[in-house]
Amino acid sequence: MGLLAKWASMLAVTAFAMSAATGAHAESAAERAVKEAQKYKGQTITIVWEAGLQALDPLNYSGPKWEKLTGIKVKVVEVATAEMFTKIMQEYRAGTGAYDALNVIPSWMPDLAQAGALENLDPYVEKYGFNDELQKIAPTYRDNQMKVNDKIYGFPDDGDVFVFYYRKDIFEDPKTKEEFKAKFNRELAVPKTWAEFDEIGQFLTDKYQPSMYGAAFFRQAPYAQFMFQERFRNEGGKFFDADTMKATINSDIGVKVFTDMRNENKFMPPGVEQWGFTENLAAFLAGQTAMTISWPPYGRWAAGYGKDEEALNWVPKSTISGKVGYALPPGGHPELAAGFALSVASTSKNKDAAYLFIQWLNSEDTSLERVKLPTALRDPFRDSHFTDPGYLKLWPEAKEYLAALEEGSKTGLLDLSLLQTDKYEEVLRQAISKLWAGDDPKAILDEAASQWDAITEKIGVDKQKAVYANWAMKSGAYPK
Amino acid sequence: MTSETVDRVLDTPVHRHRMPDRNFRLWLVFPAVLLLLLIGLFPLIYSLVISFQNLTMLDQDTSFHGLMNYAQLFRDRRLWEAILHTLLITAVALPLELVLGLVMAQLFLDHMPGRQLFIALIVLPTIISPIVAGATWRLMFDQRYGPVNQIISWLTGQQQVLLWTVNPKLVYPAILICEIWQWTPFMFLILLAALSHVDRSQLEAAELDGARFPRIFFKIVLPAIWPVMAIAILIRGVDLVRIFDVIWALTGGGPGTMTETISIYTYIQGFQQFESSYTAAIAFLIVALMSIVVTWAIRRMGLAR
Repeated sequence: MGLLAKWASMLAVTAFAMSAATGAHAESAAERAVKEAQKYKGQTITIVWEAGLQALDPLNYSGPKWEKLTGIKVKVVEVATAEMFTKIMQEYRAGTGAYDALNVIPSWMPDLAQAGALENLDPYVEKYGFNDELQKIAPTYRDNQMKVNDKIYGFPDDGDVFVFYYRKDIFEDPKTKEEFKAKFNRELAVPKTWAEFDEIGQFLTDKYQPSMYGAAFFRQAPYAQFMFQERFRNEGGKFFDADTMKATINSDIGVKVFTDMRNENKFMPPGVEQWGFTENLAAFLAGQTAMTISWPPYGRWAAGYGKDEEALNWVPKSTISGKVGYALPPGGHPELAAGFALSVASTSKNKDAAYLFIQWLNSEDTSLERVKLPTALRDPFRDSHFTDPGYLKLWPEAKEYLAALEEGSKTGLLDLSLLQTDKYEEVLRQAISKLWAGDDPKAILDEAASQWDAITEKIGVDKQKAVYANWAMKSGAYPK
Repeated sequence: MTSETVDRVLDTPVHRHRMPDRNFRLWLVFPAVLLLLLIGLFPLIYSLVISFQNLTMLDQDTSFHGLMNYAQLFRDRRLWEAILHTLLITAVALPLELVLGLVMAQLFLDHMPGRQLFIALIVLPTIISPIVAGATWRLMFDQRYGPVNQIISWLTGQQQVLLWTVNPKLVYPAILICEIWQWTPFMFLILLAALSHVDRSQLEAAELDGARFPRIFFKIVLPAIWPVMAIAILIRGVDLVRIFDVIWALTGGGPGTMTETISIYTYIQGFQQFESSYTAAIAFLIVALMSIVVTWAIRRMGLAR
């Protein structure tokens, strides 16, 4: 046997050994979860899920499939988003063990973890070998929405990010482009700044109203506070002075953002101040607005994806299929607004079974199926989701859509997350409703800042300062 | 069997022998009393205990904190504003519901074709859940889909943008319209029943003597229906002080906290922000204030007699 042949045979043996070794570890996290969960056959686990379309995932898809694979029944408790935190905390305080697994908005995680309502998942991740697949979650979500004080309390499970949607046909219309250039001496293009957005919005409204307006957003306070958080930071604002923990939302930047937000309503449809998710969606799909910002499902529905699903019959038929462009909102750093993480309740009596269910849900294999469900609202959150050949073919523009989502996941901004976050958010919600009511932006924000300071003092300045410092260090806290 | 017969039977030796313990009657009512104490008094006492502690979302501090939470009540501007909003809504809605209910009841006193059907239709709003009524009116007032602005626009001949749930000048009218729409029928029904039992012969005699309607109403009708009317006012008054659902669905307490009532504020403190001890103190403040007002009202209305 010559030297070459020797080397060749050694290489072959090595390759075989490696392939055997790989084969031994090729069991996916989903398969492992199923195998381990079969020990708990006959049990029932209860999971809290956002009511409505979100819940169709465990009700119609993942719940029945899990039961078929493992013999574990899944009971879904549907709760409206606004009540989820309350229900989870109430149950934890009562300690009945009524919930096993939870859907948690990541910005709540510090509160729920510190209260003791969430189970630390590190030992389970280790025990059931989920670490490798956890690392494949898109970095923004993985690095920012999973841990509190370096311990895992939830698996990021929803790539919620604001996307800028615009009417490509309008932006590419030669006559409109010509008129715009004549007026502003620049090309009509996707706005990169809010100043550009304002110009385009006003221009299109002047040209097309009342059949179409330049833009519209959801303006109801719970949604609009996310938009404020995004714009404020894109313009350079900071929520607090890191040294004193004094609120700085009433800075000149805050006042400018508030003033601009209200001024923009003038080129939006009448009554936009009352609009929520559905009103804004209906107007955009009906072709009545040229630009909007919202969560990823708008893009799928605008393209007509899932239009024949019975559960989506409340979604107006899209009149703009094939005419929608996707981009990052002005400023380039979209809000990772809300989102969901999967957690295990610390009071659960079936912690292993509950954990295995969420590992299976969150795994590469299962999550890919779930983010493609036309009725569900889970958005791509793993690296593999953005490049999945099946997803890329779901509708003709799916590639551009996924590219925008992936870009957003890299540059996105986290929701403010502190101790008792809802208290701070409540102040913002009230401030925004006062803004639409016509109060002075500076006065509103001064009052809001003073309320934030009072909340911080009540919680404890040093305590909150440490939590804020931890949050502000995260890659998605402020634009880099 | 007369009462004497019963007494005789019970006095016979056999029955005396079977007669249970003399406290038997007390034992019979004991479970019910215990249940009432458990579901009524225990939470009250427990809340009182909590109000002297410092239970929050993050701290389960059960040590005694004295009057800390009660002192905070007096510094909490938002709480007193919420009480003021509640009183404002009560002060406007209650008289309007009473007057409208009375007028409608008076109209429906006489027999007319389809009277029963109309009464049934008028009473319908009261059987709707208030949260559903609020959500429905929110849609009615919606600028994009709601018929209210469309009708106003049609009547005025130009598009009207009236943001009922956003504009500070319109939020209270919106709440009052919804509240009055839903609960005037309650007043109407009770007052219709009361008016139906006014002595007809007195009314006819007064008319024969030439008395005019206002005099007949204030001298004969009102005294006759007053006990029922007072109860209706009391029930609605207490309901209005507790108002939550309609406002929660319509405005969520906004703009800002402009329409936040005491129930909404208590809910936010207790179940959104988990300020359990402070919420218990608020609850006791409300219980105290309501007890004073209701006791005064009962005496003033002569219901205690």
